[in-house]
Amino acid sequence: MYMKVSMIIRYVLLGIFNALMFYIVPLAISYESWFLLLIVGIITFLINITYLTNRLKPLKWITPGFIFLLAFVVFPAGFNFYVSFTNWQTGHILTKTQVIERLEDLTFSTEEQRGVEFDLYVMQDSDLDYYFLADLDKNNLLFGKAITSDEFNNVNYANHEPSFKDSNNNIVIPESLYLLSGKEQIANSSQLQDLSLLVDKNTRINLYNISVFGASSGRIFSSQQKYSYDDDTDILYDNTQNVACTLGDRGNFICGGESVDPGWRITVGSENYQRIIDDERFRGPLNTVATWTFQFAFFSVVLAFFVGLFLAVTLNNEKVRFQKVYRSIYIIPYAIPGFISILVFRGLLNPDFGLVNDWLDPIYQLLNIEPIRWFRTEASSKAAVLLVNTWLGFPYMFLIVTGALQSIPTELIEASKVDGATPRQSFWRITFPLLLVSISPLLIGAFAYNFNNFTLIFLLTGGGPPLVGADVSVGYTDILISFTYNLAVSGGRGVQFGLAAAVTTIIFFLVLIISAISFRYSKRLERIYGNI
Amino acid sequence: MNNARLRFGAILLILSMVLVACGGSSEDTVEEPVVEEAPAETLAAPATTSPPPEKLVVWAEEKVAVALDPLVGAYEQAAGVDVEVVIYDFGSIKDDVLTAGPAGEGPDLFISPHDIVGEVATNGVVAPIDLGSIQSDIFDVGIAGFSYGGEVYGFPYATEAIAMYYNSDLVDGVPSTWEEVKAACDAAGTELCVGAPGGGGGGDAYHNIPFVQSDGGYIFKFDGGFDSSDVGLDNAAALASAEYLDSLVKNGTIAATDYGASMTAFQEGRSLFWMTGPWARGDAAAVNYGVGLIPAFDGSAATPFVGVRGMFISAFSEKKVLAQSFILDFFATVDVQAAMYAEDPRLPATKSLFAIVESEDPIAAQFAASAANGIPMPNIPEMGSVWGPVGDAMLIIRDQNYGTNEDTGVTVDSASDAMKLAAQQVRDAIAGG
Repeated sequence: MYMKVSMIIRYVLLGIFNALMFYIVPLAISYESWFLLLIVGIITFLINITYLTNRLKPLKWITPGFIFLLAFVVFPAGFNFYVSFTNWQTGHILTKTQVIERLEDLTFSTEEQRGVEFDLYVMQDSDLDYYFLADLDKNNLLFGKAITSDEFNNVNYANHEPSFKDSNNNIVIPESLYLLSGKEQIANSSQLQDLSLLVDKNTRINLYNISVFGASSGRIFSSQQKYSYDDDTDILYDNTQNVACTLGDRGNFICGGESVDPGWRITVGSENYQRIIDDERFRGPLNTVATWTFQFAFFSVVLAFFVGLFLAVTLNNEKVRFQKVYRSIYIIPYAIPGFISILVFRGLLNPDFGLVNDWLDPIYQLLNIEPIRWFRTEASSKAAVLLVNTWLGFPYMFLIVTGALQSIPTELIEASKVDGATPRQSFWRITFPLLLVSISPLLIGAFAYNFNNFTLIFLLTGGGPPLVGADVSVGYTDILISFTYNLAVSGGRGVQFGLAAAVTTIIFFLVLIISAISFRYSKRLERIYGNI
Repeated sequence: MNNARLRFGAILLILSMVLVACGGSSEDTVEEPVVEEAPAETLAAPATTSPPPEKLVVWAEEKVAVALDPLVGAYEQAAGVDVEVVIYDFGSIKDDVLTAGPAGEGPDLFISPHDIVGEVATNGVVAPIDLGSIQSDIFDVGIAGFSYGGEVYGFPYATEAIAMYYNSDLVDGVPSTWEEVKAACDAAGTELCVGAPGGGGGGDAYHNIPFVQSDGGYIFKFDGGFDSSDVGLDNAAALASAEYLDSLVKNGTIAATDYGASMTAFQEGRSLFWMTGPWARGDAAAVNYGVGLIPAFDGSAATPFVGVRGMFISAFSEKKVLAQSFILDFFATVDVQAAMYAEDPRLPATKSLFAIVESEDPIAAQFAASAANGIPMPNIPEMGSVWGPVGDAMLIIRDQNYGTNEDTGVTVDSASDAMKLAAQQVRDAIAGG
């Protein structure tokens, strides 16, 4: 039977894909990640049904993109939305299960048990059971079977075994036991770390430091863990104070009136949004910051666009020689990583030692004015931010305008010339509107990008100069996203993911609305000019 | 048609299974256990079942990781474990430990400055450690930096604090008072006098903190632990220190430089002094340099922040005893610490290593003396709300950006005003959570 090569490739690729997906299944099960399993199942089903049948032909092109859209756009946005309704912040970053695991993991020592360090020998008998020999002091050579905490109730306590030491104070091991070297202890450390030598009802000895260079050492702990948790009643017991802990309403246990760290994350409804509205620390500077964010995004796009447009139109003229050389040069700012350009500009603009002020020095002297104190005044900082962003942004605009110019039919321009239009008229009446039709979606994209241009602000000015007198540390060049960062990540009491997610959700909807309006506007442009 | 589809289905199934099988078998070869055969004559019982070699993952910033990586070979050899030292971006270690740890992706051990102790301990992502007999060998400032809620959360191995570099071609040392510093600069005739980060538009509370806390000011009251309810940024002593800084800026002793500018100025011989830490020795070596203490404030020695670097154990490590052993049996030993020091010189936090370093490296000793005057950076999570406001306030003073703000209507006419404002912002931020 005849088979096309493309078909074989398709099935081979599908086979590889399925193999990978099958490979994830046991992993997902072992991590108990049922959500991942569900997603993997859905994706596998979708892909197979798309490529194995002929009924869903159009989906063959859409499915991969659709999956990536789900995985990298919809899911993060949805997750962010979910986080904005939780108290996910310092002290509450774990889930309740994890918190209980952490708490149950904690050991404690009473005052007299603390600070005792002694040599500990690990032995094994022929049944592969482990035994500990703790050399506390001459009269306290404790020996016994090493057991897990489950066995504490039905095993005898450790005995003093002076017979394990000879007259020269050397450890002597009986024939029936094998003494593990440090290396062997390490090889079995995952088992050994759960074992204890029970000294009496309240005391146990654990292996603490396995030494491959000397003797391993142990420590004394209380035989109880610091906390124990009862699944059925949902009660945590604090064994140091012998109290039962109550559940706090913020997602933590309260033992003896004090809340226990860590807590876990819970959903808190609209609390984070409420805070943004009510909290004076947010509301106060929000006006300044929001205004500047819009100004910044708008002027960044407009300046970069017009510089790019000017250069593109100029270089589009056939009379210009070395067109390609010029074009390559103007692409350079785009090719240099933004990180580097921004830091270089930071140095160039330094008011005391920067080259920019050096160059401008004759002008300052000619006009007899004070040198510009870049980054230290509001106006100069804003100007610097816009200047650098224009430098970073114009090559992109230059590129797309150059491309768009090629697609405008020359007949239109020639026709307008015949009709007696000046070059300026034909540019503003014909070329420019046509350009806008194809470029305005990109301008909207650039606006949305700059609206959240955290890197530039963070690296160039760090938000500064400070807005003196605000309730919170904020600067004149802080945009919404960097302001949020300051408040949610580097302010207050540690990180506040919930709050940050709430602000980003708000920013998301802002950008969404602006984009929707702009797209509607650009559609109108299309209707007017698209028929030309 | 039906027949053909059936065949494709079969091919597909076979392919999938083969691939899955391949994946499995290749892994098996990787995890082939190295069985440690104990010498036959002592073998009373078969030593062990045959577990795969244990693996420890250590996260550290680049310089530290590069210093540590060649050393762990000795431990791998002796202990039969894999130690993977991962070069991690300095700025993201804390954030990623907080997020990756709970997700099961984190390291077993990581190296970080101590200022994160409160936050990671509060979040339950680090495990306390009993340092045992080693503890007495560690300077108090190191233990204090790593203590939180009565537990020690790591092994402090290095301290660092800023001091004052001087250009030894132009001046003999760092004078003991700021007046003499000014005089020395006038005599040398350099363009700038002291280049200290934290001005020139780049707010930096860390480098400026001696100007706040040397003469009785403080960020949080220290009394066995940092008390976030007692902010001393605007007490009389802090205000006086700020005014004194203001006068030093006005008379040109301290230049308005950010970190980069202060560095290039020192390297090009345009400034006589440079106030920064031991990490910059390589950069300072562009000129002949020496190091001295930061001049005193009104008779009190300058107290910089002491950063303590140490190794933490992740609470999510499944090999805690192994991780503890790596620290206590290997990393904390003098030999390893000395080798680390040779590669990445940071002031030792252990007395035994300090004794070695002091005689070998007088410059390190100067930094150590500066650290001895200092206090550990507060390690409580509330410290997060300090850097911004204090950096801003110091920036106002350093850049002389006084005046009435049109947007807020608040007037900052003096260094004292700036400090009061910062204190208020810190209190509000802590109260606001």
